[in-house]
Amino acid sequence: MSELLSSLLQDARVWQGHKHRKTNQSAEPTGYQVLDNQLGGLGWPRGALSECLLDTCGIGELHLVLPLIQRVSQEGKTIFWLNPPHTPYAPALAREGVSLDHLVMINTRDQNDFLWTLENCLRSPVTGLVLAWPGRLAGRDIRRLQLASEAGGNVCVLFRSRREVDQNSPAALRLELIPGEHQDLKVNIIKRRGSWPGQRCSLALGQRADITNKESSQVVQGPWSGAGR
Amino acid sequence: MLWLYLHFPHLLLDHIRRHQPPTGALVIVDGAGHFVVQACPTARDLGIETGMRLKTALGLAPDLNIMRADPKQEAWLLEDQARWLYHYAAHITLAPPDGIWAEVSSLQKLYGGLPAIWQTVEQALTERQLTAWVAIAHTPSAARLLAHTGKGECTADKGHILTALGNLPLLATGFDKKSSTRLQRLGLNTLGEVFALPAAELARRLSPELLAVVQKIQGTRADPKAPWQPPHTFRQRADFIQEVEHSQGLLFSLQRILAELEEDLCWRQQDTDTLLLMLQHRHEEPTRLRIRTTGPEHRAQVFLKLIQLKLDQQPLRAPVTSLVLAVKRFTGREAPGGQDLLGETQDLNEAWHTLISRLQARLGEQALKQLAPREDHRPECAWSASDVRKPGKPYRIASGQLPHRPLWLLKGPRPLLQTPVVWHSGPERISGGWWDGQRVHRDYYIAQLPGGELAWVFRDVQDGWFIHGWFG
Repeated sequence: MSELLSSLLQDARVWQGHKHRKTNQSAEPTGYQVLDNQLGGLGWPRGALSECLLDTCGIGELHLVLPLIQRVSQEGKTIFWLNPPHTPYAPALAREGVSLDHLVMINTRDQNDFLWTLENCLRSPVTGLVLAWPGRLAGRDIRRLQLASEAGGNVCVLFRSRREVDQNSPAALRLELIPGEHQDLKVNIIKRRGSWPGQRCSLALGQRADITNKESSQVVQGPWSGAGR
Repeated sequence: MLWLYLHFPHLLLDHIRRHQPPTGALVIVDGAGHFVVQACPTARDLGIETGMRLKTALGLAPDLNIMRADPKQEAWLLEDQARWLYHYAAHITLAPPDGIWAEVSSLQKLYGGLPAIWQTVEQALTERQLTAWVAIAHTPSAARLLAHTGKGECTADKGHILTALGNLPLLATGFDKKSSTRLQRLGLNTLGEVFALPAAELARRLSPELLAVVQKIQGTRADPKAPWQPPHTFRQRADFIQEVEHSQGLLFSLQRILAELEEDLCWRQQDTDTLLLMLQHRHEEPTRLRIRTTGPEHRAQVFLKLIQLKLDQQPLRAPVTSLVLAVKRFTGREAPGGQDLLGETQDLNEAWHTLISRLQARLGEQALKQLAPREDHRPECAWSASDVRKPGKPYRIASGQLPHRPLWLLKGPRPLLQTPVVWHSGPERISGGWWDGQRVHRDYYIAQLPGGELAWVFRDVQDGWFIHGWFG
């Protein structure tokens, strides 16, 4: 029996959990200490895809990447926004200290153009960060993007629907984003390289709307007679 | 003074064969289409000669390719030749329809002697796959005569040149018909015998005009030639014997034209950012394509990639009979910066321009935008989108002065359909726009919707509630 086991252990196809190697891939800190700790002190992987899976906009998903945007734009590298679902609001970005000169918005007509553009952006040395809202993606397209990403060594964050949580994906990092009760953002790590997934943490992002807890009681409650129409 | 004359016996033929891989026998016919004017070597092997009737030629070679001579195009072609010759000589004069003069006595020192000049020109002709008969003489007319008869030699010896001229038969001199007949009746058969006549008698018995021609050949009468100036535009044309149906077929000649453009730009020390490509069709309006790069560029490879992208986006409407590539905008070249001596660090500036050009060529220039805040109280007017520019010096906006705003702005306000669960701040009244007719009068709140998202909602004058942004 032990002979059988040892021959099995010799087989390269058997993955052994206790032997997990520390990844030596480079990464960018997320800017949130809590999340960095959960990610093994790394952050957003460079030269690989990261996925954020979320249901709706407005739960703090941009604030999750904002520290990275700030840092990359101040380094003078270009940040591409591909098919953002709404208009990134320039005054708000400027207020956060993002250098707008380094932001390029791209809207593509169809999926082929989208993939082509994303691939080109990923492979270029001028790119620092790509934020993309791809809609539906086939598995082989993600694989292609992953290869382009490896070639370029940039950070790429794809914002996808939470319905795709169960879909198999070659992305190096997958985060599920769920809004919390108190304007915070719950992050579930679905997949990461070099360790077990399953960690979760919660980021307080109330400051994105300038909210502190004591203030909410002072708000003038709107004349909410016509609500719900 | 010494003059070099280049006579191009079949320029149009060379031009066509240069732009298309050899496809078989080819002849050029005159405007009316009756006679063969120029014949390629393959055609000559089949027995076709210049001056032959087209019908006879077709009898000899049934699958003959035929092009019609076009004086306008020949003039263009001659200018083309002058353009490259101008790289080697400063004083150039065109001799339409098929020749160019270049003044070479001032170049001897630069090139190190007449043989070196001769060799340089011959080499340039070979590189361009051109056939030309070259001659050097001490007057422009003499050089032309010698070149036309193919008796040109690389010599600056006046006596030698005069002997060569003297041996030319009268028929080759190009005198007008009446004068040649009269000279022949006088028993004169070579140019040398005409030279020997006393000038006064020649003018009296024949005509003063003939004397002027003879004296210009001899060099006893002034024959000034105005120098040609290269045009400040680039224009190249390729003609196809067989119509090209796929854009791939255009690449062969485009490559050559772009290589010439690169050479031309390098030589001028200039760059360009706009190429105009015109594709001519037989029965339709020509297709005009504008290829733009984001920054100054001169490399043929980059242009070719952009053109390929453009052609992929726009398939050919109809088969192409000829293409014209023109460049009208030139910019002075900047000193290359950013690259270190060993070329180890990548030139990011260049990479940026390459990437943006590629994206714009495929997606259209409207697809790429940059954002900037604008001074306005109305949220939808407080930002602007502009074409992509290379980032300049970073500037910082005093962030404290800007009001708190959401990171997402909706493309237009969307009706609020759910009752918010928590109200966070507000109201913030924004009222403005009375000055340009787009009046806005709203109270803005920050509210949390049941789904957990933070929304920027407002109530307008009519008590309607709308979402205008998300705190992403």
